[in-house]
Amino acid sequence: MAQTDDSMDDDVFETVDDVNKKLNISVKNTGHPSPTGYRNYRPPPEVLKLCENDVIVSDEPVLHKTILLGDSGVGKTSLLVKFDTGKFQSGNFSATVGIGFTTKVVTVDNTKVKLQIWDTAGQERFRSVTHAYYRDAHALLLLYDVTNKISYDNIRAWLGEIREYAQDDVVIMLLGNKADCGMDRAIRREDGERLAREYNVAFMETSAKSGQNVELAFVAVARELKCRSTGQKDTNTFNVKDYIREQTEKPQCPPCTT
Amino acid sequence: MSTLEVEPGAAPESGLVTTDTLDNFDEMSCSLEEIKNINPSIEDEESNDNAIINEHFDETVSNDNEVASVDDDFELNKDWIGKDKHVFVLSMAGKPIYSRYGNEDKLAWLFGVMQTLVSFIQSSDDCIQSIHAGNTHFVFLVKKPLILVTVSKTRESESQLRIQLNYVFNQITNILTLTRLNKIYEQRQNYDLRRLLSGVERLIDHLLTFSENEPSVMLGAVQCLPLAASVRDTISSAITGACSKIKNLVFAILLANNKLITLVRMKKYCLHPADLHLIFNLVQASESFKNSESWTPLCLPRFDASGFLYGHVSYLSEDCQACLLLLTVERDVFFTLSEAKQKIVEKLRRSNCLEAINESLSTPGESSASAGFVEIRHYLYKCKSTSQFYQPILSPPYTQTKEPLTRIYKRAHHRLHNSSRPLKLMFERSADEAILAWDTKGFELFVVFEPLIDTSAAIMLVGRLLNWIKKKEERLFHLNAPTF
Repeated sequence: MAQTDDSMDDDVFETVDDVNKKLNISVKNTGHPSPTGYRNYRPPPEVLKLCENDVIVSDEPVLHKTILLGDSGVGKTSLLVKFDTGKFQSGNFSATVGIGFTTKVVTVDNTKVKLQIWDTAGQERFRSVTHAYYRDAHALLLLYDVTNKISYDNIRAWLGEIREYAQDDVVIMLLGNKADCGMDRAIRREDGERLAREYNVAFMETSAKSGQNVELAFVAVARELKCRSTGQKDTNTFNVKDYIREQTEKPQCPPCTT
Repeated sequence: MSTLEVEPGAAPESGLVTTDTLDNFDEMSCSLEEIKNINPSIEDEESNDNAIINEHFDETVSNDNEVASVDDDFELNKDWIGKDKHVFVLSMAGKPIYSRYGNEDKLAWLFGVMQTLVSFIQSSDDCIQSIHAGNTHFVFLVKKPLILVTVSKTRESESQLRIQLNYVFNQITNILTLTRLNKIYEQRQNYDLRRLLSGVERLIDHLLTFSENEPSVMLGAVQCLPLAASVRDTISSAITGACSKIKNLVFAILLANNKLITLVRMKKYCLHPADLHLIFNLVQASESFKNSESWTPLCLPRFDASGFLYGHVSYLSEDCQACLLLLTVERDVFFTLSEAKQKIVEKLRRSNCLEAINESLSTPGESSASAGFVEIRHYLYKCKSTSQFYQPILSPPYTQTKEPLTRIYKRAHHRLHNSSRPLKLMFERSADEAILAWDTKGFELFVVFEPLIDTSAAIMLVGRLLNWIKKKEERLFHLNAPTF
């Protein structure tokens, strides 16, 4: 009888320490009383981690998908590389093969927005591959080259494709890239604006070389997507077009002499 | 020679298709159908999708026309005429597709001449092969629906030139698939293919330079990055571990600096060196892969010319410039493969394989003199059963320019494989160097000696050299053929 008592004692009073010894875990004696009242109780690590962060919700930002579109050579990759690394790749043009995937976290009003940016090849032969990604996209940056009229003329065809393959509520932004071109310009700023108005999309001119509006283009998209995902769209607290109008850096233009 | 027994680099199984030199390029397999039949989950290739030739988009190709100037009169341009090797691609209807130098539109008349020559000979149920005028060779490859022509003063043999034209054809197939290429011309005989190939000129240019300068195309083999066998095995098993559950993954290829690190494959399927060369070329010529993880369709014509494989292409990490390609038959598995890639990189980092790769990339390699063969300037050793080759780094007098060496090898190679009188063994001395070329059942060997060496010394050295390579084979060759 005594023997069974002993064994019962063992079962009941086996302390956490003993268990830890068996499992080969060392527990630091913190000296603080245990919050649960059990001596030396230690919450599991994942609970501790939550406490350290002060916030219970995961801080993993929401993922938004953005596609760069436009004819070959208009500067989609350059724009992205400038945004991602701050560098402008001068030198030889190297066409994108297929689709390139980059993720970048942008901070909008103290919250993080994770943009997954898909950089597509402009060449026609890749269309069937890129089409497959249109429907998953939340935003589209559609680029033309202000020194290349054909790339501008093709914008209508691109918008046609977008309508066919992308979601109806996708955020579209039209970008006239290479705005630093000076004398080589073939498309006036007003032409871009007019086209954007016609299709009711946001517009700005950018330059991957000088960095003009590069950050803005992506941040504006991130902002719009964030507002949509938090359901603020209806209250109209944010309007991407107004936002751009306020924020756009206009290139310095010497005063006109009459 | 007793050394005949030695066959460095040979292995019972190979991930690469065994190649004979001067391979017949007409055989193309249909592996895709097989794989799809095994795993029928894949939706049928959207052939309609492929057939759409989108008419909304303006042709951007021919707008260079307007900037014509006197300099563009190529027939009058000495520089243009003086080029060592021209390569032209045109459609059966005579439409210009590619010219290595100059603007195709300006050369329309010349393309017309080429097309006329081909069709004139065809009208008597024959096929034009080549025209020889002094040192200039005009070689034709008529491969429906394209005509490929080279005009060469490089002293390469006709068959070597024809291999290069085949590579150009394969490069175009690599981009479009043969099925689509045929379909395009069935629908419209005078289609301007350049609109679908914009940007491909650069790949073809690069491929031609590659096939002229690198022995790999001539040998039909690939070179491996020297690595300890244990490291290579760890890398292969990291890939297998991360990918074994992924359905329909056909090949995983890790390469760096134009050398193969490892090739993991689906059971039963092997990769042809010619296809691997196209992949090397694509990776080398495409800077954009360095910017981000990429997803691209590509057709490996020797594997299956009728359809696309889809490739996840990425460099391992910022600090390790080896490029990993995961090739699958599924269209939409980028994210699955992207995850697998992350796992592979983590494993390689933990097992210090990234460092091992970097170390091998940064060490210049051994010259034959530093390996103890002072009389040997350079050599090429190809193991036939595994389609791999090894060469030491260049040493004087070839460090300044590689061209003479390349020419010696091409000439010796041609002598061995001359279709009218092939040779097994050749030893030849000239004022500048001596060359021994040897073709056996298991390997091909080309050794360039100092010019004063005598025959017996040369043969003795070759024996020692083979033993040396044999001793190092685990490091220099990818000897097992891992599968998923």
